Amino acid sequence: MDAVTQNFGSVRALDSVGLEVQKGTVHALLGENGAGKTTLMRVLYGALQPQSGKVFLDGVETTLRSPAEALRHGIGMVSQHYAIIPELTALDNLMLGAEGGAILDRKAARARAQSLADSMGFQFDWDAAAAELGPAGAQKLEILKLLWREVDVMILDEPTAMLSPEDADALYASLRGLADQGRTVIVVTHRLSEVTAHCDHVTILRQGKNVTDFPVGAKSQHETAELIVGKALSPSAARSCRPGEVLLETVRLDVRGDRGDVAVRQVDLGLRAGEVVGVAGVDGSGQRELVQALLGVRPVLSGAIRLVGSDITRSSARQRIALGLRGIPEDRHEEGVIDDHDLVTNATLGHQRLAAFRRGPVLDRAASRALAGKVATMFETKHSHLGQKMKELSGGNQQRFVNARALAHEAKVLVAFQPVRGLDIEATRRVYAALGEFADQGGAALVVSFDLDELLEFCDRIVVMHSGHLASPPTGHERDRTMIGAMMVGTA
Amino acid sequence: MASPALQLLTSTAIFSAPLVLGGLGALTSERSGVINIGIEGKMLFAAWAAALGGWASGNPIVGLLAAVLAATVISQAHWALTQAFRIDHVISGMGLNAIAAGATSMLNKSVLSRFAGTRAAALPLPFFWVGAVLATVAVAYVLNQTRGGLRLSAVGHDPEKARQVGLKPVAVRFRALLATGLLAGLAGSLLVSNAGGFTDNMTSGRGYIALAAVILGGWRPWPTLAACVLFGFADALQLQLQGTGLWGAALPPEAWQCLPYVATLVALMAKWGGTKAPAGLGRF
Repeated sequence: MDAVTQNFGSVRALDSVGLEVQKGTVHALLGENGAGKTTLMRVLYGALQPQSGKVFLDGVETTLRSPAEALRHGIGMVSQHYAIIPELTALDNLMLGAEGGAILDRKAARARAQSLADSMGFQFDWDAAAAELGPAGAQKLEILKLLWREVDVMILDEPTAMLSPEDADALYASLRGLADQGRTVIVVTHRLSEVTAHCDHVTILRQGKNVTDFPVGAKSQHETAELIVGKALSPSAARSCRPGEVLLETVRLDVRGDRGDVAVRQVDLGLRAGEVVGVAGVDGSGQRELVQALLGVRPVLSGAIRLVGSDITRSSARQRIALGLRGIPEDRHEEGVIDDHDLVTNATLGHQRLAAFRRGPVLDRAASRALAGKVATMFETKHSHLGQKMKELSGGNQQRFVNARALAHEAKVLVAFQPVRGLDIEATRRVYAALGEFADQGGAALVVSFDLDELLEFCDRIVVMHSGHLASPPTGHERDRTMIGAMMVGTA
Repeated sequence: MASPALQLLTSTAIFSAPLVLGGLGALTSERSGVINIGIEGKMLFAAWAAALGGWASGNPIVGLLAAVLAATVISQAHWALTQAFRIDHVISGMGLNAIAAGATSMLNKSVLSRFAGTRAAALPLPFFWVGAVLATVAVAYVLNQTRGGLRLSAVGHDPEKARQVGLKPVAVRFRALLATGLLAGLAGSLLVSNAGGFTDNMTSGRGYIALAAVILGGWRPWPTLAACVLFGFADALQLQLQGTGLWGAALPPEAWQCLPYVATLVALMAKWGGTKAPAGLGRF
C-alpha cells in the first residue's frame, strides 16, 4: 500500500500511510486506539475507499471497491467481532455467503471443510450450533471461512483478545503454518509479547502516520511500546499493597448460568481493602455469572455474599449500590450506557436513587452535571459537551466514561469485567493507576480479564477461574505465568 | 348426513388450511427477521381481491392470481415500511391491518355489492388442502436445503453479522416477503373459496392465530402446520359442540366460540420459553 490518505470529515485518520508486507510472513500492525490501524486494514479489505493512495498486490496496482472485490483478489479479514451466527451450525456458518450453488450440497461441503480443518489441525463438530463454540473455536472457524474462500492475504484484528495463553500460542502456530504455505498474515494487536514471540515484521502507526517498520527482534519490547505511545512511558508505579479487612466475601457460592447449568461452583472469595485482585480465566469459565451475582443482577443458587460485613445474598442491586458496591459491566454498550441519553444522565445511571443526586422525588440535575464533569475528566473522555449523546462517543471513550463513573461517587468495592477492553497502553495504565489509588484509599477492586499479561502487570493478587471453580495459584507460584495459564485450562 | 367424526375431520381441514397457508406466509417473513403481525391485513386484502377477480371474470384462476397480486403488493409495502423507512415492524403491521380492514370494507360496499347473492368463482377447497401440505414441503425444503434458505435464516438471526459475510439483509428480506405475499394470497383465496364471496373482516383474526401457530411451532414449517391443525381442530370442535351444555348447564354459543382462542392462549403459555424466536426479529 502506498501513500494512503483517509479523511473522516475534517479528521485525517490516515495521513499518506505506506505499508509493505512480504508474502509468506506474519506481519504485526501496532498502534494506539485511533492510530489508524483498523482504518488502514479496512482500506485494504475494500470496506473503505481512501481519498488518495494506491494498493498493490504482487506488484500490480489494484482497486478494491468492496469487501467482496477484495475477497476475489484473495484478501480477507477477521474482525474483532466475529461474523459467526450462533444459531446456525458450524458448517452452515462456514458456507454462508460462498455456498457454491443454489441447492446446498452439505455432503461435499463437509468433505471440503474437513480437509481444510485437517490441514490446519483444527477439529470441529460440523453439525453443532456455532453457539457452542468457545472464543478459540470461533476464531478458528473464522480462519477456516477465509480459507474456504481461498484467501491469500489474511487480516486478523485482535485475534487473541479473548483467548487463553495456550489457545493464543496454538493460534499463532497455525498462522505460522499458513505463512509457510506462502500465505500472508497481518495481525493487528495490542499485545507486544505475542509480537516478539510469533511475528516476523512490525509496522507501527501513530496518529495516522507510519512511524516505523522493523523486523521483530530489532527493538526491545520497551522500545516498541515507547514508539507506539510516542513518548517515554511513565513507569507503572509499584504499589505496596497492605491488605486490610475483608470488604467483599463469598461463601460456597453457586450460581446458575443461562443454560440452567451451575456456572459458578462453591466459590469462596475474600476481597480485602487495599487490594486489586485479578480474576484470570478463559472466557466462559463462570466469570460472567460470578460478576453478575456479585452485582445483584443474577440470582444466587446457594451460598452467601457479604459486603462490608452485611449479608447481601438476596439484596437488590439498588441496595448493593447504596452500600458502596460499584460495577463495570462486560458489555459497556449494552449494559453500561444508554446510547440515546446524554453524558449527564449516563453519569448518574446507578447513582440516581442516592440522596446526593435527588431533591425529594426528582433528580438533582445540578448534582448530576457536577458528577458528569468529574466522570468525563477522570480518564479524559473525549467529548464536546456534557449534553452530547453517549452514542456519539467512540467505544474507547465510552469505556473510559463507564470506568470513571464506577469510581466517581462513594465507591467502596469495585467489580469490573474487562475494564480496559479496547483501551490502548497509556489509557490502560491510567485506569489501573486509578484502581490502585482507589485501593490505597481503602477501597477494593475485583477485575476480570481474559488477558493474563495485563493482570500480571497490574494486579496485586491473581485468582484463577476454571469451569466455575475459583482457585489461587499455589504458594511460590503466585505470579507464575505458566502455572496460571495451566490452571486456566484445567491442566495444572 | 355424514358421521360426526367425518364431519369433524372435514371441518378441521376447512379451518386449518387457511391457518397453514397464512402461517407459512408469516413464517417466511419472520425467519428473515420481519415481524409479521400484518399477515392478518395481507390475508384480508387477498380475500377481497380474490372475490373481485372471481366475480368479475368468473374464472377461478383469475381470482387466485388477483389474490396473490394483492397480498404481494401489501407484503412489499410492509417491506418498504420496515426496511426502507425503518418503521417499527409491529406498528407498521398493525397499521396495514387497520388500513386493510377499513379499505376492504369500503371497497366491499362500493365495488363488490353488485355481486351480492352470487358465488365468486374460486378453486375448490381440496386444491387448497393439497396446496397447504405442498407449501409446507416446499418451505421446509427451501429453508433447510437451499442457499436462499440459509441466507434467509442467517439474516433473520443476525442481520449485522450477515452483512459482514457479504449478504444484503434488505434484499434477502425482499425475497422472503415475496414468498409471504404468495402464501398470504393463497390463504385469502381459500377463504373466498370457502365462503363463496367476501364479507367484511372475514379473516376475523385468523392471521393472528396463524402467527400464534408460527410461535407455537418454533418458527419451523412442520411444527407450524401441526399447530395450525390443532387450532383448526379446536375451531371444528367448537362448531360441533355448539348447542350442547356442559354437565347439564346450558352454555351460550359464544362460550364455545371462545374455544380456539382459549386453545391458542393455553398452547402458547404451555410453550412459553420453550422456543427461541429468530434473534434478528425487528432488527437491522
